[in-house]
Amino acid sequence: MSAISRLALAAALLAAAAPVIAVEPGAPAPAFRLPTFDSAPPVSLAELRGKVVFVDFWASWCSPCRQSLPLYDKLRNDFAAADFVVLAIGLDEDVADAKTFLAEHPVKYTTLQNPQGDVAKAFDLKGMPSSYLIDRDGVVRARHVGFEPKDIDVLKKEIAGLLGKPAP
Amino acid sequence: MYSKKKSPACSANLRRSLALLLAAAMLAGCASAPVQPWERGRLARWDMRWDPDPLKAAIDNHTYFSKEGTTGAIGAAGGGCGCN
Repeated sequence: MSAISRLALAAALLAAAAPVIAVEPGAPAPAFRLPTFDSAPPVSLAELRGKVVFVDFWASWCSPCRQSLPLYDKLRNDFAAADFVVLAIGLDEDVADAKTFLAEHPVKYTTLQNPQGDVAKAFDLKGMPSSYLIDRDGVVRARHVGFEPKDIDVLKKEIAGLLGKPAP
Repeated sequence: MYSKKKSPACSANLRRSLALLLAAAMLAGCASAPVQPWERGRLARWDMRWDPDPLKAAIDNHTYFSKEGTTGAIGAAGGGCGCN
């Protein structure tokens, strides 16, 4: 193979590789604005600047999400609403499935819908469920892939650390 | 004298290279779109599993392993949530 064709092949392979770079801790969180599941107005990440935001990606078909969503409700109540916000982004292609799931597992925090999955792509999720802890300046400070109930204690410490308060 | 009509060997060669080219192009189609974690909704459906009943599958495997004196390599990539 000539040098030129080898170079062309390398370029083609590079172009074919996923152009999205995973959002790692230390990187700014991708901006998004998404509709809610109810009649509340859409929510954007930018309007929550100044608060610590916990963004969780879930779906009705994700079995660990049956545990995680109700537990995040408790987590939210451990911190003041002025400081800490939970946003749960439902990725079901069929929004009706997500609504049924929320009816079975009701939560009090904001739930957003993203059936197109473009926000999931922007964050480049490595698994389901995935969650991101975003600090007051909009920078991702922690990422969690998968869920087990003991993760809640880790999250509490991380959130308290970002808020500069003792863990509840 | 030069004839415009192609020899049968030439057209067979041409056909073969066209078929190869087409096959290569179609092969690339398989590699283009890996299923992303958030796109597994349909794969996670109950009727997309290899074994609809996990308990029955576990019992069957147990029987198989004791009969064969072997274990493992019973799975294959397929349906499922891919969670955790």
